[in-house]
Amino acid sequence: MEDRQFRAAQQLIRDVLAGRLTRREVIRRGAAIGLSWTIVSTLLAACGGGEGGETPQPTAAGARSTPTGGGVDTPVAASTATPGAAGTPKRGGRAVIALIQEPGQMNDFFNGQSGSFLSVLAVEPLFVPDRNGEYQPVLAAEIPTLENGGISEDFLTITYKLRDGITWSDGQPFTAEDIVFTVEVYQNPESTPQVGAAWEKIESARAIDPLTVEVKMSEINPGYLDLFQQVLPKHKFESTAITQEHPLARLPLGTGPFVFVDWKTGDQITLERNPNYRDPEKPYLDGITIKVTPEKEAAIASFVNGEFDYVYFIVTGDLPTLVTAEQEGKPVHVELLEGGASVEWLWFNLSDNGDPTKPHPVLGDPAIREAIDYAIDRQAIIDQVLGGFGSLTGAFIYAGWAAVDRPPTPYDPEKAKQILDAAGWVPGGDGIRVKNGVRASLRYQTIAGDQTRELYQQLVQQNCKDVGIELRIENVPSNTIFGSWQEGGLLARGNYDIVMSRDGYEVDPADWAAIFTSASIPSEQNPGGFTYCHWRNAEFDAAVEEANSTLDPEVRRQAYQRAVEIFARERPALPLYRSASADAWSTRLKGIKSIWFNPRGTLYSAADWYLEE
Amino acid sequence: MTSYVVRRVLQAVPLLAGISVLIYVLLQMTPGGPLAIAENPGSAGRVTAEQLERLRNRYGLDDPLYVRYLRWAADLLRGDFGTSFNTGRPVLEMIGERIPVTFLVTGLSFLVTLLLAFPIGIVSAVRQYSVFDYLSTSVAFLGVSIPSFWLALMLLYVFTFTLGWLPSFGLEDPRQDYEGLVALWDRARHLVMPVTVLALVSTASLTRYIRAAMLDAIGQDYTRTARAKGLSERVVILRHALKNGAIPIVTILALEIPDLFIGSVIVESIFAIPGMGRLFVESAHLRDYPVLMGILMIASLLVILFNLLADVLYAVLDPRIRYR
Repeated sequence: MEDRQFRAAQQLIRDVLAGRLTRREVIRRGAAIGLSWTIVSTLLAACGGGEGGETPQPTAAGARSTPTGGGVDTPVAASTATPGAAGTPKRGGRAVIALIQEPGQMNDFFNGQSGSFLSVLAVEPLFVPDRNGEYQPVLAAEIPTLENGGISEDFLTITYKLRDGITWSDGQPFTAEDIVFTVEVYQNPESTPQVGAAWEKIESARAIDPLTVEVKMSEINPGYLDLFQQVLPKHKFESTAITQEHPLARLPLGTGPFVFVDWKTGDQITLERNPNYRDPEKPYLDGITIKVTPEKEAAIASFVNGEFDYVYFIVTGDLPTLVTAEQEGKPVHVELLEGGASVEWLWFNLSDNGDPTKPHPVLGDPAIREAIDYAIDRQAIIDQVLGGFGSLTGAFIYAGWAAVDRPPTPYDPEKAKQILDAAGWVPGGDGIRVKNGVRASLRYQTIAGDQTRELYQQLVQQNCKDVGIELRIENVPSNTIFGSWQEGGLLARGNYDIVMSRDGYEVDPADWAAIFTSASIPSEQNPGGFTYCHWRNAEFDAAVEEANSTLDPEVRRQAYQRAVEIFARERPALPLYRSASADAWSTRLKGIKSIWFNPRGTLYSAADWYLEE
Repeated sequence: MTSYVVRRVLQAVPLLAGISVLIYVLLQMTPGGPLAIAENPGSAGRVTAEQLERLRNRYGLDDPLYVRYLRWAADLLRGDFGTSFNTGRPVLEMIGERIPVTFLVTGLSFLVTLLLAFPIGIVSAVRQYSVFDYLSTSVAFLGVSIPSFWLALMLLYVFTFTLGWLPSFGLEDPRQDYEGLVALWDRARHLVMPVTVLALVSTASLTRYIRAAMLDAIGQDYTRTARAKGLSERVVILRHALKNGAIPIVTILALEIPDLFIGSVIVESIFAIPGMGRLFVESAHLRDYPVLMGILMIASLLVILFNLLADVLYAVLDPRIRYR
């Protein structure tokens, strides 16, 4: 960080802490002095007052934050004075959460629906990523690293150390045997878990002592900290064959602040305070009721009316309503987190109709891709269509610990025209450029029926027309675009020019980077491939391979940095904008912390929640 | 008569079998499947191919269609409706817990409908072209044409968000543990809006039926005869005209009873009531075939039964009709 920039940043931080700035101003000024979104979002968390704004740690913003203590309840507690908590937390009462989409199981291990994340009220993970995408230990005592011997020299053996003194909510001790059991459940072919691909790379697990477990991987597993988001209590099961029918697969038993007691399907789920929780003072609430309210409009209206304390979950589209309600003095607090997990992309087809040996007649020319990049007015999409909610990124690795801070391509139609002129694309009679008899005319497809999207799709179309590139909008149903190779999906078969869709990753970019490598281009021989840009770049492949060959974060970081530069130069896909994410809760619910990577991570702080009235 | 009923019941068996084949095949033909959510690349693609394969095996999705159907039908004949793909719970249990809630809401609104529609319909017919008749006609047309989701949202807007009189969701206050009369009062407050929405729509149409039937009956010779005998107007209308006019109405009402079981997805969704309508639609979204088949089979059975009941009632009410 340059000195001038550093001083500007310091001033910005002082202004934020003094409460002199609105969120919007922070974003603008932060962007003006070139702060990364990671930093700006940390600042945002601090402004606008409210109980969510824990004091930011300016030093931690750029540097890697250091784990303090541990436990979901206290990752930064040492340095955190919760503002707004002038008094002491009040005991008792029941918070009510509105749940829009009820999952089949309240269990992340057996259920892939979004609602099952609410299980974190009762079930704790080994590690959880903080706002910067750095994992912090919860049920683990420390992060396994090369330095502390947690990661073996060949990166294939991970030794997890568990926190001492943790008990399940029924009073039984939480031990390494539970971790081993969970792995055995996963590996039993009769079981039906629905967890991430990182689990497939586990070869075996062995308890060394009650608080140490050694897990051997069959290949280098970058998701090793994402494993064990849920551990199953061995003493409650008779067999390792567990399916969705098991009562504890539906309502799990955990170590967290609350205990699931009852689920009236379609109606409500009741949680009571865990009497065996490790902190005898907590949780403050007597219990939490999750009320199933399938109609989102109605649920949000009831929330704004003060009938709910929290809505699971808020998406970008709900923000205008909620922000307005907050401004009107309704009893809701909106926590805006710029930089959500997903990005809207323009995917370019670099093959000639899926034939990998021939480049695309138009998009095969890098000048066309570069010109489109400069031609698009991305800020206009955010300001004119998205109501100001969203942010820009110039790096395809934009989130998590490996995020690369790269400025977005500026809107510069003149430059786009120069690039096209220089490359020999000459405007024809209708203003559309032509080179060697090929018109710069491309199909531009996205999922039909999304009105917001269709609005900025037209904006992009106009932007490109202004520089002499014709985009023909032909929107189709999602199956047509995303269908498998066998189903003749447009992306898989390379039967498209430009497709617009949202995609992204969360903390670790390994799986995400793989979707641009040439090894996974879909083909007759490789129908399961997912490199839909049909892009071949040996340099990029090598960078990704290097990142995958180690668990040393520094080596990986540098490899990804290289990959980002190659990607930005070659442009197999263009980022349009990064969706905003947000969370919201009622003003009477206090003690909420919003310091985790996942915007819904606020739920991890349930032990600290209390009701003020 | 008895042989007629027995014959009809026996006919229902192949009919139900045919229905089951038809809906089973139709359900499987709809695009997507129970694992579509897990397969969807939008859900971070976190479920791996191997995990999907295990789920497919478990649900038997890889077997040929006829094998799956026969397995399902064999289970059904033993009284086993199967297990939900989504929740892993027995289908019959899931349906069973929705029935009381559904009947509470639909039954109450059915009752309200009867209590309102009969007097309004009769008075409208007796005083045809009166101010009351015009008024009830207008209200009825309004009631039939207002979409119930709009009405529900308007009621919410007025009575919850503006006046703050009524709770907006559920059947009880999630923050309180009421008992006795207070619980009853709490329940009543929660029921007012959903029941009103359902009752208004059905009252509107039923009023029109009753009015038409009564007008028809009042114009008949037997009504004139009754009047000519010097009977009081009250007896003429209620004993002679109504009894005859009510015959087609009874059929209509009997056929509406299976609907009480099916519930109303719109009202249940907006007011967050865990009824059958929502179970059905949510299961349809998830392609939860066992639950869908369970609901559809029970609903088909009810429709067949109440059709038979309507026919039998017809004969009971109208001595001119004889079944052989």
